[in-house]
Amino acid sequence: MASMGTPAVVMDNGTGLTKLGFAGNDSPSYVFPTAIATSTASKATRGGRSTALSSKRGLEDLDFFIGDEALEAANGPSYGLSYPIKHGQIEDWDHMERFWESSIFKYLRCEPEDHYFLLTEPPLNPPENRESTAEIMFESFNCAGLYIAVQAVLALAASWTSPKVQDRSLSGTVIDSGDGVTHVIPVAEGYVIGTAIKNIPLAGRDITLFIQQLLRDRGEADTSLQTAEKIKQQFCYVCPDIVQEFNKFDQYPQEKFAQYIVEYAERKATVDVGYERFLAPEIFFNPEICSSDYLTPLPTVVDLVIQASPIDVRKKLYKNIVLSGGSTMFKDFGKRLQRDLKGLVNERIQRSERSSGAQSTGVDVQVISHKKQRYAVWFGGSLLAQTAEFKSYCYTKSDYDEYGPSIVRNFSLFSVP
Amino acid sequence: MLQIEPNNLLVQKTLTERIFPDSESLRSVDRIITDFDFTTYHISTLPDQKNLLLISIYLKCFGDLTKYGVIDYLNGKYAKYSQYLSVLSGNDVEQGYDYSLVLDLNELESIDDEGKNDVINELSFLKRHAMAAPFEKAFARYDELTQTYANSNTYSEEVQQELQNEEVLVIKYRGSDECIYIKPSFDRVTVIFSTVFQDETDKIFGKVFLQEFVDARKRSVQTAPQVLYSHKEAPLDIQNYVQGKKDDENKGYITFVLFPRHLVKGDRRDNCISHIQFFRNYFHYHIKCSKAYMHSRMRFRVKEFLKILNRAKPENVDDEGKAIENRKTASGRRFDVGRV
Repeated sequence: MASMGTPAVVMDNGTGLTKLGFAGNDSPSYVFPTAIATSTASKATRGGRSTALSSKRGLEDLDFFIGDEALEAANGPSYGLSYPIKHGQIEDWDHMERFWESSIFKYLRCEPEDHYFLLTEPPLNPPENRESTAEIMFESFNCAGLYIAVQAVLALAASWTSPKVQDRSLSGTVIDSGDGVTHVIPVAEGYVIGTAIKNIPLAGRDITLFIQQLLRDRGEADTSLQTAEKIKQQFCYVCPDIVQEFNKFDQYPQEKFAQYIVEYAERKATVDVGYERFLAPEIFFNPEICSSDYLTPLPTVVDLVIQASPIDVRKKLYKNIVLSGGSTMFKDFGKRLQRDLKGLVNERIQRSERSSGAQSTGVDVQVISHKKQRYAVWFGGSLLAQTAEFKSYCYTKSDYDEYGPSIVRNFSLFSVP
Repeated sequence: MLQIEPNNLLVQKTLTERIFPDSESLRSVDRIITDFDFTTYHISTLPDQKNLLLISIYLKCFGDLTKYGVIDYLNGKYAKYSQYLSVLSGNDVEQGYDYSLVLDLNELESIDDEGKNDVINELSFLKRHAMAAPFEKAFARYDELTQTYANSNTYSEEVQQELQNEEVLVIKYRGSDECIYIKPSFDRVTVIFSTVFQDETDKIFGKVFLQEFVDARKRSVQTAPQVLYSHKEAPLDIQNYVQGKKDDENKGYITFVLFPRHLVKGDRRDNCISHIQFFRNYFHYHIKCSKAYMHSRMRFRVKEFLKILNRAKPENVDDEGKAIENRKTASGRRFDVGRV
């Protein structure tokens, strides 16, 4: 095959952001919104009755933008913005096909015939969606080879870079918190335990809104969403105990309170940053401070998920809890989660020891955080796709031509090196 | 996006991020970037000196390009930045790559932003410049021939013979199956692409496209270069240069004849080179775009047909003309309430 020397392309299309890059790099080359701006004029002709051949000779189908350029173009009058991926799953295949077209040719600049591709999918993605993806990748783009990996499994693989991981197994619990939703996904030997997955409707956006609310309540000089976002990224951390942290703020106001300076074109505004530094990430652990309808703390959800999984993998799931996504980047997030979860588990062990009288061997709870957490899924993909064996796990164009789209319903798992 | 840009966006972005960093601390960089036709860039900082940025490029056809003086051409292109951009030669070139440059960020600090952007831009054109070398050479030869034959009878037998024997420049840019052949003459430069289609569908799309190219000149774009297409059989000009199987079913030859008006020195000539060397990528890109367009129309049609089918579903009617609810479960059982 002619594509031996070329690096594989790793594409992680999320609901909010798309991560694009080549295998072997340590971070994605492009991160931009999964948005496409199509010209509204062309839509009118397509939906209309005009079936004359002359109306189809135009180039309207090439008149679109993706990513940041799309957001910009949508500010103008003649473009409409749409997000082809909803809740992690591709909804609009027309737009997605063009989104890929532009990401491959314009942004990555590669001839798909020469490259292998690694795409990601959310857990519980219907096999029909996989087939449609394969149809586009093989029939439109003639890509040399394709592998579709589950995001949670890639996040597990990304955690191998952490020194805490001793055995490189594909078993563990993945906590994936992006902008919209937080998923807790148990994975056993590379397979997602679909029945046990739980979602938490709290994630990055809720934290930002919560900070914004606090700023507004205090009447700060600038309470825009961008300011709240910046404060979230720069100042927030997870505290071990709220009451003590409040005390600390009272005792050492100099160290704890911070100021964020918003720079405008002509003037500057100073925003005081107070208790939201530790209160904002706290909504994962005490959701009642922000939401009135969702009240289960994250450690409890993780515990429930693992308890819902088959009994023989639970120990492994407790031992390997992996964080992924931007909203898990708060300082000491992993530590707090580990402590709270350990508390829950130990309590249960004590209870059962009391009632049964037998001695338990104990359960090891370990939350792993690592440097590549933000784009963990993409990074895991890059790690796997640069291995020499990767190409043997892919389906090639000739496989596809031989068996048809149903071939992608099953991919063999990466054997652990 | 109609055109494929001649510069590499990702190289530009990586360098911009590096030269205008967000934070003060200099982090080490180690990135692989690809481009069309098996081109790979490697941008990395040197292990002990984080202010030196090594930019290397690998091209599949570099062997051919060196024959046509690519190294001198590139050195010339980047000479004006020599204050902070040094070209590595000989054994210093990074292992596995063909051409390396070192950018000194400390030296670059003293330059204004416009100058910095200028360097970034010029570096993002690295592949374009590398591929341009043989074209430049051929065009220079064309200038020479025009001079030589300016006053002679070019219809005479000897002159024709001489022109016939003019050397053809061959660039095997995607292996021996897909090449660019360039043949200069006194009044034109002929550029021939050989293409191979891996896919049956692509072949058909390709034919339609090429037919359009050939016809375009007849219709409206009279200033466009003449385009000829031949299937399977190589044009006479290059028959001696074609390697591999001569009668490959999938092989086609696209000939562009560039006339003096395309070869006017300066911007026009540069523009011409930029466009023609990306012909294959452009061609394949548009084949893929049309397939995507077809797919979107097919989806639209299927949706319409499904609507019609749903409307046409027969309604079960009882004796009095009232519709009977005949919903079934997946296993085929009915929800017959009251009846057995």
